[in-house]
Amino acid sequence: MDLVLQLLFTGIGIGAVYALVALGFVLIFRATNVVNFAQGEFSMVAAYLMVVFSVDLGWPYWLSFLLALGGMALLGVIFNLGVYYPLRHRTFLPVIIATIGASILLANSVLAIYGPQPQVLQGWFDTPGIQLGPVYLDSQYLLIIAVTIALVFFNYWFFEKTLLGKKLQATSQDKEMASLLGISVSTMIMITFIYSAVLGGLAGILVAPVLFVSIQMGSTIALKAFAATIIGGFGDVAGAIIGGLALGVIETFGAAYISVPYKDGFAFLVLVAFLIFRPQGIFGERVAEKA
Amino acid sequence: MSAPSDNMSIPTPAVHSKPLLIRHSPFFIGVAILVVLAAKLQFDGYVLNILLQATTFSIAVFGLSVVLGLCGQINLAQAAFFGLGAYAVGLGTTDLHLSFWLCLVGGCVIALLAGAFLGMSTLRLGGHYLAMVTISFQQIVTLVMINAIWLTHGPDGVSNIRRPELFQTSQSYLAFCVAMLAIVGYLVWHLSDTKLGRAMRAVRDNELAAGVNGIDVFRTKIYAFALCALLGGLAGGLFAGGFAYVSPDQFSFAESIVFLTMSLLGGVASPVGSAIGTGLLILIPEWLRFLKSVPGLYLAIYGLFVILIIRFMPDGIWGFVADAFNRWRAHTKAPPVAAALQLKPASVGGEFVLEVTGLSKHFGGLKAVDGVDIAVKRGGVHALIGPNGSGKTTTLNVLSGLYQATSGRIVLDGTDITHMPPHRRTAAGLGRTFQNIRLFRSMTALENVEIGAERPGNSMIGKGEDALTERAMEALTFVGLGNRANELISSFSYGHQRLIEIARALAANPTLLLLDEPAAGLNSTEKLELHELLKRIAAQGLTILIIDHDMTLVSEAAQHITVLNFGRRIADGESMAVLRHPDVVSAYLGSE
Amino acid sequence: MKLTRRDFAAGIVAGLAAPHVITGARAQGATIKIGMCAPVTGPAAESGRYAIQGAKLALEAVNKAGGILGKQAELIVEDDQTTNPGIVLAFSKLAAQSDIVGFLGSIRSTQVHAMAPDVLKLGKPVMIGGTDPNLTHMGNQWLFRFRPNDSYSGRVIAEYGVNTLGKKKWAVLHSTDAFGTAGGKALTAALEKLGSPPVLDQGYANQSQDFTPVVLAIKQSGADILGSYFTFENDLGIFARQLRQLGVNIPWVGSPSIVNITALKLAGPALYNTYGVADYAEDSSEASKAFGKLYRDAVKVAPDNQSSWPYDAVTVLAAAINKAGSTEPAKIREAILSIKKFPGAEGEYNFDQNGDGLHGYNIVKNDKGNIVFDKHIEFND
Repeated sequence: MDLVLQLLFTGIGIGAVYALVALGFVLIFRATNVVNFAQGEFSMVAAYLMVVFSVDLGWPYWLSFLLALGGMALLGVIFNLGVYYPLRHRTFLPVIIATIGASILLANSVLAIYGPQPQVLQGWFDTPGIQLGPVYLDSQYLLIIAVTIALVFFNYWFFEKTLLGKKLQATSQDKEMASLLGISVSTMIMITFIYSAVLGGLAGILVAPVLFVSIQMGSTIALKAFAATIIGGFGDVAGAIIGGLALGVIETFGAAYISVPYKDGFAFLVLVAFLIFRPQGIFGERVAEKA
Repeated sequence: MSAPSDNMSIPTPAVHSKPLLIRHSPFFIGVAILVVLAAKLQFDGYVLNILLQATTFSIAVFGLSVVLGLCGQINLAQAAFFGLGAYAVGLGTTDLHLSFWLCLVGGCVIALLAGAFLGMSTLRLGGHYLAMVTISFQQIVTLVMINAIWLTHGPDGVSNIRRPELFQTSQSYLAFCVAMLAIVGYLVWHLSDTKLGRAMRAVRDNELAAGVNGIDVFRTKIYAFALCALLGGLAGGLFAGGFAYVSPDQFSFAESIVFLTMSLLGGVASPVGSAIGTGLLILIPEWLRFLKSVPGLYLAIYGLFVILIIRFMPDGIWGFVADAFNRWRAHTKAPPVAAALQLKPASVGGEFVLEVTGLSKHFGGLKAVDGVDIAVKRGGVHALIGPNGSGKTTTLNVLSGLYQATSGRIVLDGTDITHMPPHRRTAAGLGRTFQNIRLFRSMTALENVEIGAERPGNSMIGKGEDALTERAMEALTFVGLGNRANELISSFSYGHQRLIEIARALAANPTLLLLDEPAAGLNSTEKLELHELLKRIAAQGLTILIIDHDMTLVSEAAQHITVLNFGRRIADGESMAVLRHPDVVSAYLGSE
Repeated sequence: MKLTRRDFAAGIVAGLAAPHVITGARAQGATIKIGMCAPVTGPAAESGRYAIQGAKLALEAVNKAGGILGKQAELIVEDDQTTNPGIVLAFSKLAAQSDIVGFLGSIRSTQVHAMAPDVLKLGKPVMIGGTDPNLTHMGNQWLFRFRPNDSYSGRVIAEYGVNTLGKKKWAVLHSTDAFGTAGGKALTAALEKLGSPPVLDQGYANQSQDFTPVVLAIKQSGADILGSYFTFENDLGIFARQLRQLGVNIPWVGSPSIVNITALKLAGPALYNTYGVADYAEDSSEASKAFGKLYRDAVKVAPDNQSSWPYDAVTVLAAAINKAGSTEPAKIREAILSIKKFPGAEGEYNFDQNGDGLHGYNIVKNDKGNIVFDKHIEFND
C-alpha cells in the first residue's frame, strides 16, 4: 500500500508536468488547427532563461521568473510571426513541418550558446520535500500539482468569464464568424501563441529543478504531452489535463509492475489503443461534419 | 538469383509499356552509364560511403514521395520501416545465415505488413492523428530494437552483415544499389500516371470528390502507406548490406525527421526531387563541417532552412524547376481529336431510376432531412428545390454517401445503396457534381476527367490507357473544352471548371447524374450554355436530378419537381403545377 | 594512373561533394599525420572538446621531444557527430588520406562497432576508448584500447564491494544502451563468479524523467549494496536524489560516470560517500598527476578520462612508431603490442595480444564532493 501511494504521488506529479505542456498544445491546436511540434522547446528555452537570469546573473528568483516568462511571451510573438503566420493559408502539413524546423532551430541555438552540459536550477523552496507517513512528497512536485490545479480554474475563468477569453473561444471555433463579429482573428491567434508559449515556459521552469536543465528536456516531455492531448481528446482543455495525469500514472505503475526499460512505450501503446478504439479521446474532439 | 525488381508491387503502366520504354530509352541509357561508372570508377572509401548512403536513403525518401507527395498523408516513421528492412537483412544474414536476397525480400514484406497494419488502424482518422500514430510506432520500434536484446542484439547493433555473393566489393554493391535506385525511381515516377497513382493524387487533392468519383479513399491511402513502408524496408535492407553494421540509433525518430526534410527539400511530389533532397542533405553536413567549432550551430542553421524552404519553396527545389517546365509543356502538347461522347445509362430496374423512401438525416437534435420520399423517373430531368436551409444539399449528400442516412431507404436502379460508402455508390451508377466545385487542382482537365472515366463498372471504355484517354477526351469535347484538355485546372474560369466537373461525371457513364446547383456563380451566357448542355445530356437518355435556385433554369429544364422546406417534402409533381402550388409560393415568398 | 583516376572520380563527385575531398589525393607532406574522429557536434560535443584537448597536449609533448621519426606530428580531426553513420563518414574521410599513419577512434563502443569493418578494410592501427570487451575480441587486429574494458570495471566493482566492503546482496542497475547493457552484464557475471549473484538486475531507458519505480524495486529487493552503470549525468542525478529522498542509503559503487564533474554538480550531496570506478584518477600514479597538472594549466578544467585516453593514445602511438622506425601498419602494430610497463595517465600499459592496454581500474570515493583515490585493482588474467 505504501508502495502504491508513493507511485501514485510520483505518477500524478510527472503527469501534471505532461498536463502543463499538453495545455499549450491544445490552445494552439484549437486556435490554428495545427500541432505545434516546438512546444517542448518552449519549456526548454524558458528553463535556460531561468538559468541565465537566476544562476548566471544572480538575480532574485521571482524577478528571474517574471523575466523568463516575459521572454517566453516575446518568443511566442516571434514564433507566430516567423513560423505560423506566413503559412496560415496553407494546409496543416507545411505548418507541422515548419514547427519541426523551429524545434530543431531552437534546440540547437541553445546548444550553440550554452553547450551540451546539463545545468542545475534551484527549486522554489529550500526544503526538498516532506515525509507524510510512508510517502515522501517532493516539494517541487507538490508545487507543480498545485499550479496545474490553479491553471484549471484560471483557464475556466479566463475562457468562460472574460471577454478576451470568449473572443479567443469564438476565434478557435469559427474564424470567419469571429471576423464578421469584428474580432481581429490574427490578434487572437497572436495572443494564443503568447499564452501558449508562456504556459510551456511555466512548465519548463517548474520542472527544471526536478529534471535539470538540458537541451533534450523539452522534447522528451513534449512527446508524452502529445500522447496526453490525444488521450484527453484533441482540442479539449480539461481533457489535456486528465490525459496528462492519466498518462503519468499509467507510466509510473507500468514501470513498477511491468517493465522499466519499456516505460516510454506504455504512453504510446495507450495512445495507439485510444486512436483505434476511441479516437475522439476521453472527452471527445468537437468534430464538425463538413461537406 | 531473382531479379531485384520482383518484389516491387508497383503497378507498371501496362498498355503503354512498349512505346514508353522506347520513349524513355535515354533514361535507361543514362542509368546504364551511371551503373557502369559506379562499378568501374575507383572511389575512395569516403566518396563510396557517401554515395552508398545517398543511394539507399533516396529509395526510402521515394517512399515518402509516394505517401506524402502523391497521396498527401504524413508519415513520421519512415526510419522505423527503414530499420525493419535493415534489421531483417542484418539479423537474417548473420544469426540465421540466410541468403541476402531472401532477407531483403523478407524485410520488404515485414515493412509492407507493418505499414499496411498501421494504415488500416488509423488512416480513417485525419492528418495529425496519423502524425501521432506514426511517431508512436517509431518510438515503439526503437524501444524494441534497444531492449529486445535476445532478438536484435540490443544497442550493440548487428555487425558483419553479409552482402550477396555477386556484389562482394563495395564498388559492385554500389553499382547494384544505383541500379535499384534507378528501377525504383522509374516505377515511382510512373506511378503517378497509373490508375492507382491518379487515385492517390485525387485523394490528396480532394478526398470527397475522390470518393464520389468511384475511388476507395481508405484503400488508396493504405496502398500509399504500405508502398511507402515497403520502399523504406527495401532501402533499409540495401543500407544494411552496404554498411555491414546497423544499430538502433540509426533508425530513431530524428532520422525519420531527416527523411521528411530530405523529401521536402527536394520536392515532395517527384522521385527526382527526392533524390536531389537526399543528396543535398547528406552532402550539406559534409560541406558545413567547418561550422563544427560551435556545437549545434550547424543544426540550428538546418532548422532555419527547413522553415525558409517551407515558406518560400513549398514544392521543393525540383518542384520549383518542374513547375515552370510543366506550364510550358502543357501549352505545347496538342490534345488528340475525339469522337462524339456516347452515354448509355444502364437500365436494369423499372420505371424509376431512383426511389427514396422515408429518408431522414439528423444531426443531434437537428432534423436536416425528415422522412423525405423522392421518385425519379427514368430518362427525365428531375429538380429538387427549396429555400435556403431546406435540406436540399443534405439530401444530396446522403444520396451520394457523404452522410449516412439516419433512417430510410435509397434504391438506385434496383440496387439498395442506403448503406454503401460513396465510391461503391459511384460504382453502382451514381455521378455527382458539387455546389462549391471540387476538382483535383494539381491535375490537368484531362486527368480529372480520366479519373471519372475510370469508375469501376464503366461499360463505355475499352481496356487500357488509350481507351481511357479517348473516353475522357470525348467527355471534355462534349462540354466544349476538348481543345484545352492538357491545361491545369487553375487556368480555367469558374464556369469552365463547372463544365469540367460535369464532364468528369459524364465520362463515368452514370445511370443517374446529381447536379448540385450547377448554375451557381455563372453569368447569363454561361447559364445559357449550361442549359443547352443539360438538354444534350437529357437527349442521350441520361436521368438528371438537379438542385438549383435558378427558377428559370429549373422550370425550363425539369419535367418534374420536388420541393423541400425545413427538411420535409411540401410538394411534388409536374413542374408547372408544383411551381403554382400555394405552399411552394409561400415557402419562397414568405407568408403571413 | 591510379591517382589520376581517383582524381577524376573525386572530380565528378566534387561537382556535388565537397572540394576538400580532393585532399585525399594530396602528396605526402613534411609532417606525420594522425587522424582523429571526435564528437564535435551532437550530444557528446562537450566531451569531444576535452578529447581533442587531451590529444593536442600529447601531440605538443611529442613534438617538443623531437616528433615522430624526426618529423613534426600533426593531428587531423573529423567530426563524428556523435552518431554511428557520422563516425563511418568521418573515418572514411580520414582513411582516404593515404598519408595518415594512425587514428584515434571513439570512446563510444557502438561507434567503434560501426567503424570497425572499415578499419579492417583499411588495415591501419586505430586507438580506441570504447570499453565493450568484444571490440578487441572479434578478430579485428587493428583496434588498440586505451581504457580498461568493461569486463574489468564489472570485476573491479564486484571485487571491491564483495571483498573490501563485505556486501553480498547486490542490486545492479544499468542503462539499456550499449554501454550500460555491456557493463551490467559484466558486473552480473563477475558477481556470479564471486558467489553472490545479484538480487535485482534492473535496466532503465536513457532520459527517464522519474526513477521512483526503480528506487522502490531496490528497496523491496532487500539489497545491501548497489552497483550501477549510468550513461547520462542527468539520469544519474535524478536517480541519486530520488534514492536518498526515499531513504535508501546502502553503499553504492558506480561506473565512471558517477564521479564525473557534471554528475557531481547535478546531484550534489546525493552522491556523497559513493564509490566509483575510474580509469583516470589524478592521484593514482606519478604519470596521472603529471597529466593532471598539464591539463589544468592548459585547459583550466579538471582532467577526466575523456581527455586522458586520447592523451595516452597519441603518446603511445608516437612511441610505437619511433620504436618501429617505420610508418608501416604491421610494424606499428607489432610495436604497440610489445609495449609493456609504459606509464600513462590512465595507468600502466601492458598490451596483450588482443590489443587491450589496461587491465585494472582505480576505485575512488566521493568525499563530500571531492573525488579521492582509494585503491587500484589490477587483474593479470
